[in-house]
Amino acid sequence: MIDVAHLTKRRGGRAVVDDVSFTASPGRVTGFLGPNGAGKTSTLRILLGLDSADGGTALINGVPYRRLRHPLRTVGALLDAGAHPSRSARAHLTWLARSNGIPRSRVAEVLDTVGLTGAARRRVGAFSLGMGQRLGLAAALLGEPEVLVLDEPVNGLDAEGIRWMRRFLRDYAAAGRTVLLSSHLMGEVAETADDLVVIDRGRIVARGTVAEVTAGHSSLEDAFFALTGPGGQDAGGGA
Amino acid sequence: MTFRTALAAEFAKLASLPSGYVALGLLLLLAPGVAVVNTSALRRALDTGDTGGLVDLSTIDAGLDGIPVAAVGAIVLGVVVMSSEYTPTRRGAGSGRQITATLTGLPRRVPLLAAKALALATVTALASAVAVPVSVVAAQAVLGGHGHPLDEVAAEIGGRVVGGVCYLVLTALLAFAVTVLVRNGVVPLIVLIVNGTFVSLSLLASMVTPLAKYLPDLAGGRMFGAYSPVEDPLGPVAGGLVMAAWTAVLLAVAAAVFVRRDA
Repeated sequence: MIDVAHLTKRRGGRAVVDDVSFTASPGRVTGFLGPNGAGKTSTLRILLGLDSADGGTALINGVPYRRLRHPLRTVGALLDAGAHPSRSARAHLTWLARSNGIPRSRVAEVLDTVGLTGAARRRVGAFSLGMGQRLGLAAALLGEPEVLVLDEPVNGLDAEGIRWMRRFLRDYAAAGRTVLLSSHLMGEVAETADDLVVIDRGRIVARGTVAEVTAGHSSLEDAFFALTGPGGQDAGGGA
Repeated sequence: MTFRTALAAEFAKLASLPSGYVALGLLLLLAPGVAVVNTSALRRALDTGDTGGLVDLSTIDAGLDGIPVAAVGAIVLGVVVMSSEYTPTRRGAGSGRQITATLTGLPRRVPLLAAKALALATVTALASAVAVPVSVVAAQAVLGGHGHPLDEVAAEIGGRVVGGVCYLVLTALLAFAVTVLVRNGVVPLIVLIVNGTFVSLSLLASMVTPLAKYLPDLAGGRMFGAYSPVEDPLGPVAGGLVMAAWTAVLLAVAAAVFVRRDA
């Protein structure tokens, strides 16, 4: 369960996250949708304790991320898929598992899950963008978390990879776990998500099930542009 | 418990970081290497009686003069432990950095920095505890007939050997603290290595003010009896305490900044 309430973050005098509130529930895939620069990544970075907020709260199972004792066992995060380029995929996952007291056997398991077993000994710096994303997902899955937070997870994946990711996330939520994924690709989110949170210029402009958000529009794409474009609710409010 | 897993993770990172091995290699090779080269010159001078070019003719502490150069290895290690967190995963803009993974795994930042510092200090101490005594023994071997029995050497300069190990550990921690502040390895590497080997900024400062003796490298160097450019240098214990105080203050400042800033 993810609970974000009245979250605000200012950068250079401008609110990049402006009174953002939403929840992501267990058993459902929640799509966090918005154009590039709308505040999705900023919101997720605060949720994961990487950046601090100027106001509001972002809680996971009722507590801030920084208060989780072994956070990787509760929350799996794919943010920028960061790893040191000189380490092998396996070495990267090994230290990460150690940091949260996760059994070493999980390293081989998650490498297998994301299809990187054959590349386990290769330097991360030599990985393609898609392999890097798979490694990021492997890192997120290490602690068998009940909450997944993924920022643009299909970035760099090929068509087959996107299809695989979609099915994986649907199955993950179907097992009663919480999945929050951000994207600027409406088509991707429409195929995967149960619930939608639409953000534009730092503010939430729509929330609800996919059907609710697209009601009155011919497609999610139309709804998206109506909500976020210059003719949207927030018209003229751009900074 | 959290600290124990943090420490285990930091040791695992060090064990799989190639630049860390380069740094340890520098430390382990430079100390005895410089000791052998300098002591060979000393032995030639003693053999021929032509001592014109040498300042220091003492033979009991031969080998300790490799320590300031070996500090390059300690500096590199202290820097890469932190700068590796900020190395882009891939070339090009928008690439990830390991620090994101590190902080999602260990969001409590003070224990994280403490674990990093402790892992760094432990590894530097172990390597130095090999490099410094080996340098002293190698120097005595080079001196041959001009040398001293090792038990005499141990009795005379044992404390300075320990001081040299402390100097290298504190140097690594200082480099680490500076790198935490600047989030980049290039600047601290250039400044600290140039200061330690080519042009000593502290030496220049000592020409301007006697207070230069309180600078970390000049003060800390007294722990192993390094040459001091100031007239009234600190004693070995006072010098060590001054360098330790510099290290503690810089680590505290680095922690305060690291806790507050966005990753």
